[in-house]
Formats: sequence, C-alpha cells, structure tokens
Amino acid sequence: MSDFHKKVMVIGGGIAGVQAALDMADSGIEVFLVERGPSIGGRMAQLDKTFPTNDCSLCILSPKLVEAAEHPNINIITNAEVESVDGSVPHFVTKIRKKPRYVDEKKCTGCGICMTKCPTKIPDAFNVGLCDTKCIHIPFPQAVPAVAIIDKAHCIYFKRGKCRVCERFCEPQAIDFEQKEEFIDIEVGSIIVAAGLTEFNAVSKDEYGYKIFPNVVTSMEFERILSASGPTQGHVLRPSDKKEPRKIAFIQCVGSRDAQTGNEYCSAICCMQAAKDAIIITEHLRDAEISVFGMDIRAYGKNFDKFIERAEVEHGTRFVRARVSSVDVNPVNDNLILRYETDDHARKEEFELLILSVGLKFPPHLRNLASLLKIRLDDLGFVHTTPFTPVATSRPGIFVCGSISGPKDIPESVIEASGAASSAGAVLGDFPRKAVVVEHPPEVPVDDGDRPRIGVFVCHCGINIAATVDVAEVVKYASAQPYVVFSQELMFACSQDSQKLISDKIHELGINRVIVAACTPRTHEPLFQSTLRNSGINPYLFEFANIREQCSWVHQKEPARATEKARELVKMSIGKAAYLEPLSKSKLNVNKNVLVIGGGLAGMTAALDIAEQDYHVDLVEKADRLGGNLRHVKYTLDGFETRAFLEHLVDQVEKHKLIRVHKNAEVESINGFIGNYRTTVKYNGGMNIGIGDLVLQDDRFAVDHGVVIVASGAVEYRPDEYLYGKNDKVITQRELEERIAAAQPSLQNLRSVVMIQCVGSRNGTNQYCSRVCCSTAIKNALRLKRLNPTVDIYILYRDVRTYGLKEMYYKKAREAGIIFIQYDTSAEPVVENINSNLQVHIREKIINKKLKFSPDLIVLSSGIVPNENNKALSQALKVPLGTDGFFLEAHVKLRPVDFATDGVFVCGLAHYPKDISETIAQAKASASRAITVLSKDEIESEAKIAYIHENRCNGCGLCVDICAYKALEIDQERMVATLNAALCKGCGTCAASCRSCAIDIRGFKDEQVLAALDVLRWDNK
Amino acid sequence: MSKEQQTINVSELDTKFADEVISYPGGEHLRKCFACGTCTAGCPVSEIDDDYSPRRLIRQILFGMREEVLTSPTIWYCLVCYRCLAHCPQNVNFPDLMRVLRYIAIREKRVAPDIMDRISEIDKRIQILRHDLIKFDVAKQKH
Repeated sequence: MSDFHKKVMVIGGGIAGVQAALDMADSGIEVFLVERGPSIGGRMAQLDKTFPTNDCSLCILSPKLVEAAEHPNINIITNAEVESVDGSVPHFVTKIRKKPRYVDEKKCTGCGICMTKCPTKIPDAFNVGLCDTKCIHIPFPQAVPAVAIIDKAHCIYFKRGKCRVCERFCEPQAIDFEQKEEFIDIEVGSIIVAAGLTEFNAVSKDEYGYKIFPNVVTSMEFERILSASGPTQGHVLRPSDKKEPRKIAFIQCVGSRDAQTGNEYCSAICCMQAAKDAIIITEHLRDAEISVFGMDIRAYGKNFDKFIERAEVEHGTRFVRARVSSVDVNPVNDNLILRYETDDHARKEEFELLILSVGLKFPPHLRNLASLLKIRLDDLGFVHTTPFTPVATSRPGIFVCGSISGPKDIPESVIEASGAASSAGAVLGDFPRKAVVVEHPPEVPVDDGDRPRIGVFVCHCGINIAATVDVAEVVKYASAQPYVVFSQELMFACSQDSQKLISDKIHELGINRVIVAACTPRTHEPLFQSTLRNSGINPYLFEFANIREQCSWVHQKEPARATEKARELVKMSIGKAAYLEPLSKSKLNVNKNVLVIGGGLAGMTAALDIAEQDYHVDLVEKADRLGGNLRHVKYTLDGFETRAFLEHLVDQVEKHKLIRVHKNAEVESINGFIGNYRTTVKYNGGMNIGIGDLVLQDDRFAVDHGVVIVASGAVEYRPDEYLYGKNDKVITQRELEERIAAAQPSLQNLRSVVMIQCVGSRNGTNQYCSRVCCSTAIKNALRLKRLNPTVDIYILYRDVRTYGLKEMYYKKAREAGIIFIQYDTSAEPVVENINSNLQVHIREKIINKKLKFSPDLIVLSSGIVPNENNKALSQALKVPLGTDGFFLEAHVKLRPVDFATDGVFVCGLAHYPKDISETIAQAKASASRAITVLSKDEIESEAKIAYIHENRCNGCGLCVDICAYKALEIDQERMVATLNAALCKGCGTCAASCRSCAIDIRGFKDEQVLAALDVLRWDNK
Repeated sequence: MSKEQQTINVSELDTKFADEVISYPGGEHLRKCFACGTCTAGCPVSEIDDDYSPRRLIRQILFGMREEVLTSPTIWYCLVCYRCLAHCPQNVNFPDLMRVLRYIAIREKRVAPDIMDRISEIDKRIQILRHDLIKFDVAKQKH
C-alpha cells in the first residue's frame, strides 16, 4: 500500500453504508465510500417521516451525510461502481469505475443555476417520477455531494450537438462535456457491502390496478406525496383530480409473503410504515378515514405495538385482518372498489385513494456484484449470513450490513452497520490508525480590550440570494455600521477563491471578527470556521447571517422588503459580533480500558470484538459462569446448534489475554464520565479463577476505564397464567426446548400439543411484543414434529410475527402440518384441568365454532422481561430506562446502541428482546461505537457549552434535574452547580431554566443575544 | 346462533383427512394455506351465499372435519372459475381441492354418480338464461 494505515471500502452510501463509514472514520480508519448513484443517503433520504417517533427522515439523516462529506477520513466516490476485487484480507486490490457526471465535482458549488436554465425536463427519480426535474440537476436539495449531474441520454447537446446553456450560466465553470469514465485503483484491508434495497414493482400485481387506475399509488410514491419537499409540497392530493381524498386504504404485503411474485418472505417494515403514514395523513387531513388491509400486524420492535395502538385509538385507523382479492375502478369518479373478506363474508368497499405497501427486494445489480466479490447469496437472493456471523459474508474480509442481507428497518440497518464496522476494523492487521491531525497557524490573541474590527462578506449564492436581495445595497449598509472595517459581496462565499479572499482581508486589515451573510450554519459554518483558523483567528469569532433560507427563499415576491430584512439580519450579526470572544475546546485524556457489564452472548461478543482491536476489557458477570440466556437456547430457527458455538465463544473470551473475566461479581458503584470512569466491582464470595494479578480488598476491587458497555441481559417471564406451575403438563417453550435438545423419550408418546403465544407479552403489564416467541414456537414445533411425526401441534396466536426472512419457517411449519389458530384478546384461550385431563378451549374464527382440545402437553410462549436491577444500574450510570423497563438508547433510529450520555453503550436483551443474530450484531455495534472513543488519545469537549456564574448560583439543583446529558452536579460543600465540560452539549436547557440567571452558554451569552436584539433599536430605517 | 355455540371436540376429528386429501393429485398445496381469505373475498359464490367460504372449507379439511365436509352441499357449489387460485398468495389450488373432495364423495357413494352431469346441465341453462337476460337488458336501454 502506498501509505500505511488502516483502510476499508464501503459499497453503498445509504444509511447503513454511511453509518459504517462514520464509525470506522472516527476510529482512525480511512474509508472509501463507493456509491452507484450521484449522491449518498439512499432510501432514507426519500422517506417523509420515520416510525415510531415520526421524526422527519431527512432532517435526522442530513447531519450524518454532511458529517461523512466533511470527515477527513472519508472519501466519498459517487456515480461509481466496483469493477474488480483481487487479493485477499487484509490486502484487497479494487478497481472502481467512476462514470462521468459531465460536471467537475471540485468546481461545482451546488448553486443550482444550471437547473433553472436547462431547457430539458426529465422525470425526477428522487420523487419516484411523480414530477419533473431538469436534465442537469442536483438530485435533491440536501444532496451530498451537492453537485449537479447531466443525464446524458436526455441532454440536447449530447443528442444534437447544440445547447450548452448550462455551461454559459455556470459561474464556476464546472460543466465539462468532455468528462470521461475514470478507473480508480484502491487498496483496502477489508470491504463492507451495504448495497441496500429496491422496491417491488407493483405492476406485477395487476389485480391491484397499479398503473391501470390513476388513484393507486405505491408506499414509496406516497412518502414523496407526504413530503413537504415532494411533488405536492406535502399536500395529500389524489392523482386523478388533485383533490383531497377522505377514504383512504392501504393494502399490505404487495410483493411480500406472496409465492405468486416469488417474494415469499416478509418485508419487515411495511406494517409500521402504513401505521406511520396513517397517523401522518390524519395530521394533514383531519377527517380522513383510513383502513389498513393486511394479515398479521408485525409490530415486533421497540415501542411498535404502542405505535399501532396510537394509530388505532388516537387517529382512528382501522386495521382490517384481510387480504384484498382484487381492486376495480368506479368509472364515474375513479374511486377504487376493494374486494375483501371479514368474518367470513365477502365484502366490497369503495375508497378514494389506494396505497400499495410494496415489499423490499435486493437490488437487481446484486447478482453481478456478488459474483465479482465472490460472496455467496442465499436461496432467496440476499447476501448469505449465518445466525452466529450476522455481518460476515462467505468470503473472509468482506462484511455486510443493511437490507442487502434481508429486509430490515433503519435501526436494524444502523446496528448492523456499526457491527460490520467492528468486524471490518478487526481484520486490518498491524497497520496503524490514521489519526485526524490538522495543523493550524498560531492564533492571533484577541483580548477584551481590543477594538472589534469586523469584516462582512455577503454572498450572492449565484442567483439564490441575489435575484431577490439587493446584495450591493446590503454590503453598502453593512460598511456604515459601527466596528465594520470592511465589507464585500461574493458570488459564492463557499468557493475556494472566496476562502482565499477572506483570509487575505483578515491579514491585510487586521480583521478580528468575521460575518458571512449567506446560507445556513448547519452546512457551512465548519467551512468558514476553518478559514478563520487557517488565517490565525479563533474560529468562534465568526457569525453567520442566514439571508437565504430565512430571507431570499421565503420572500421571493417582495424583493424590496427582503433586502430590508437582509440588512437587519446582517446588522444583528454585527451587534452580536462585537461581543464575540475566543472559545476553546477543552481536552480530556481517554482511559483505554473497557468495562463490560454482563457475560452473556452480547457481553462476550462485545468484549471479544474490543479485545481483537487491542483494547483491554474487564467483563463482569454476576453468575458463576459465562453464557447467560444463550445457555437455554439450544438451536436456532434455521437449524444451527448453539452448543459448540457457545463453548468456543466462552473459551475465546476466557483465554483472551486482553480480557479479564470476573464471575460471581457485580458492579457496586460507577463514578466518572467518558474517558475517565472508576468502578468498584464486588465479588459475591466463592472462588474466582483467571483474574491474574488482581488484588481484592473486602471482596472488592476498583477498575479505571474509559467506556462502559451495558450487556446485562433480561429474563424469561415466569407465567402465572394457564395453570403454569400448577400442572406439570403446562410448560414454557424454554422447558420444551431443553426436553427436545435432550431427546427426552416422553416426547415420542405425545399425541397432541397446544402452544399458546403472547404469554406475558402485549398485555396490560408488558405492553411490548417479545419479538422472538413466534419464531421460538415454530422452531420447537418443527423440531418436535421431526422427533415425533405423528404428533398434532396447534399454535394459538394473535399475530404470527415471523418478520423478514423468518417467514420462510412459518411456511415450513404449515407444510409440516402444524395448525395455526388466531385469537384476539377479547376471546383468549381457556385452559382447564377437568378430572386431571387438560382441556384448551378457543373460538376458531373462520369455522366460527368453539374448539376443545385435549392435549397431553401445553407449551406457553412466555415473553422476555427486563432485569429487576436495571433501575439501580441505570441510576449508577446516569442513563435512562424506557417505560417498559429496558434501557433507553439515545435515538431509536440513528443511535440505537448509544446513550445521550457519551461513553456508555448498550447491547443485547438489556436494550430490547432480540434473537441471537440481532444480539451479536448489536454487541458488535457497541464495540464499534466504543472503539470510536478508545481509538483517540484525547477527546475534545464542545466549545459552545454552559458556563456557571458561581456568585449567582444558589445551588437549587433545577439544572441538574433537567440536563439530558447529566453534565451538571451540585457541589455540596459550596452549594453551587458545577459543570462537567466533557458531557455538556451546549443545548442551553439549563441556561433557559435557571431562575438566578447563573448559567450562560458560551457563544450565546445573554449579553451577546441581547446585543443582537439591541441593534434593532438603533434606527428603524 | 345455535351453530356458533356448538363446540367441536378436536380429538374426535379425523386428523388424517388432510393427508388423505393431499395424497390425491391437486391436493398438494393444501397445507400452504395461511388463511388470509383472499379466496373467499373474490369468490362469486361467496358473494351470493354467506355460508359458502373457500377459506372455511380449507380450514375444515385441515382440522379433519371429514364427515361435515363430505356431506355438505358446499363442495358442489364451486364454479371452477379459478379466481381464488389466480389471487392466492400461496398457490393453493382450491378448485382442484374441490375436485378431490367430489371424487371422494362420489367414490364413497354419498351422492349419485351422475351429479357432475346434472351440475353441468344446470350451468348450461344458467348460461343461456344469463345470455338472454343481458341481451334483453342492453336492447331495452337503446330505446
């Protein structure tokens, strides 16, 4: 390799690929992110909102995309495909084919003028063809990179040799019609495949009328219709007459669970997506009546069942357990007539708009990609993985994450992405990490007494600002304000030559405060701050006036008043700038040891992954042996035996020279914060082996560490329903599994077995779905059938939740003769012991009769409940629990293993019920997240953080209670609040709520904010 | 209502009946059924007869309700239009299942052996009736 450090290639720039890239980049690994399309972001960028929090999808994704684009360790290569891969881990030699964009990526500023001038309209792929874009276009407003691309097939110049209008109007001269295909050779140590998904083409289900009747749309089209940046600006209008529909229907499983289309698996996300859309629709159209036609409601994730209930109860969504047979059109009004069946009556119902919840498929190019990567695909065509290696492909050194290995939602994809990052980082051999080091010239000191010398730079942003705001007038106005020593207009303030100009003026005129009046600090503040730093000025002596999003874009029809507003915005910045002061980030050392709490599958996997990347781990397990709940899982749904895997894992962990295993031990107290924890571990008597030179005092020892991983597991629900504990013929799935694993002879004599699902789940006490029980019941039923083919097995269920590829085992179970009987909570099964004969009664809804079973075994699918000591542990760690008692992550979608408190991570059942492969993926993810901290010698705090005026503080403690990041404490001796700079995010909640005005946020101090407001009084014209 | 209250004792049913049906050509896909109801939703017979449901008949076979199924008039109602199969997500061939049940019923002398001929004759007369009614109706609208 040309330069020697760790390098990884990520194929696919959707949320999974971006997350994997960010994790590795933050761990000192150089990443090459190769994306087929013109910009990164993938499917998530196209979604309107995300379940179950209804966050705006692009709003939470966009910062990640910007972070990836600006990360010094990430090279984004768009419009590119992998051409060949040679060599082997850790020396892959790849060739990337970069297709021409006909726009120079280095010169294009993303101003979009070309789009306004191009005469050729083409269907807008980002809006799934529902509206048009131009032949030269930026894929969507927040696209990363924000670089235009020419669609050669439609371009007039390429077709007829004339036009080049875009070239004429492009100020930075970025258009390059001569651009050629490029081949780039890249050497990497390992590869992650995150090639994403595509939607099922609903045209193949012609009975639902897609592309036949105008008012039938797909779920992806509907996401765009809901989106404020979509073709209807977020107005829900039906295509035929552009009117607001009132009666709206969703049909589920279009291209999922369907042998006719060849997609027999479940697409894992559509039930929740439909519920989310139903909620959002009623927010747009108050009187809308929404019906969702589906089979089982698969709300198997964290807070999903509550979300469904919210859709039903608060938003009036009607979930109909029926699969629609066909759709016809009413020729009079283009309404759709759905044929379905409930309570065994065939029905017809008319709707004004129909949304088809289309399934997820692997992308068509996967076959080709897999053959050049030489990785195996499974029978269904997804990338093959095993339950014990959920992020590994069949080829060493090539890893996988996201929907390319089976349909999954955003958090699952993000978890796998971090997991794959951990695996990919662990195989890179002895190459050093590539620390992010940036050299800056020494800062010119700026003291309180120095007179402010302000430079104001006003951006045209092509015509984005200049077409509405009179930029010259704003510049002239600014130059007359106090302290302003220079002001100038710039065509593109963000271009390279503008940076040079700003830098030159700083040196030339001794400018010590810089104001840029342009777009948004969200995307461009880091750029100007780095220009200041490179010019020897503290980067916090910078102020942004947003005269685009907050002015020119929203006041296009009133140029004169827009100009006036731009002047005022600039004036406010000037007022504030005079009070800006230099800020610095404080640095903290990072202890490189890790504490892992819990020695089950999650804890062991996390410990091993971290130790494999050369960091020391203390693993604390309260039982006398490792293994946790995995000891009770004997085999997986797909037929893998767990014993050898478990024994091998325990052996690896116990023998690893960087892992100290503490059995019979518990965490007694934890103090400190990210990078600097001290924990006391208490041994609960008994002999301990393998702790080496550890010295115990009173059965205790203290350990210093930089991060904590919570892998404390959960427990099986102990039923008190259905005669459990009173009759020995009533057992749990776990007990059955142990009997099956031991091939107990009594199983051979069974004639009839009844299994009851959702015992201890989805009820008043435990409102969540335990996620694994449907699969467990099917797994055990199939095994039992194999041992005793004559046994009759009946499974009484509420919804069969064999999500994703697990659906194939539901089918196997039916084919094996296992009979599934659906019940609702209004008519739960009844178990009786009559004359020492067990009886189960249930109403069969289809035959519409009561059934009486006389089984010789009843198996309860008992759920998973949180550990009792979660509360104590959560308090010790200062991290929250959710209402269900499981640990609550920082963000359900995008930070599924982090906490709001930095330095603490969660994985496994402590987070939520999950199966073996999901636990392994999340454990690896927590390792990856931990390594982003451990790989740094020191971490920087934020600069714009809270500051406490101790003389005003009376130690009331309100700020301590409301700080989401646990950054504040009361010094009990002096009775004042003290701040931990390492934990503060500068959110300002404390400052806003302090009754004594004892807290300021640096960069937003009261005097600075008031100064910005004060200037508005200077003069009114 | 009385029909609903009736309890079926599953242990008294013929749990081998499903296997028997499967053993005949055309019965193979019976067990793939996941009771989604697509068949009944599109069935032209179900549309006029609330007691007729392909989904329910499949359930009855699966549970082993042999006597009830083979003696019921419902197994003779199917028009063999294949709308159910056309939309079945599990490719369960319901008309073929009906053919198997009819075969067993005739073999077991539960009905006269010429029943299929009589049903064909009924179908033919209904076709004539339908044809003439439509012709009459369209002609009337022209005036």
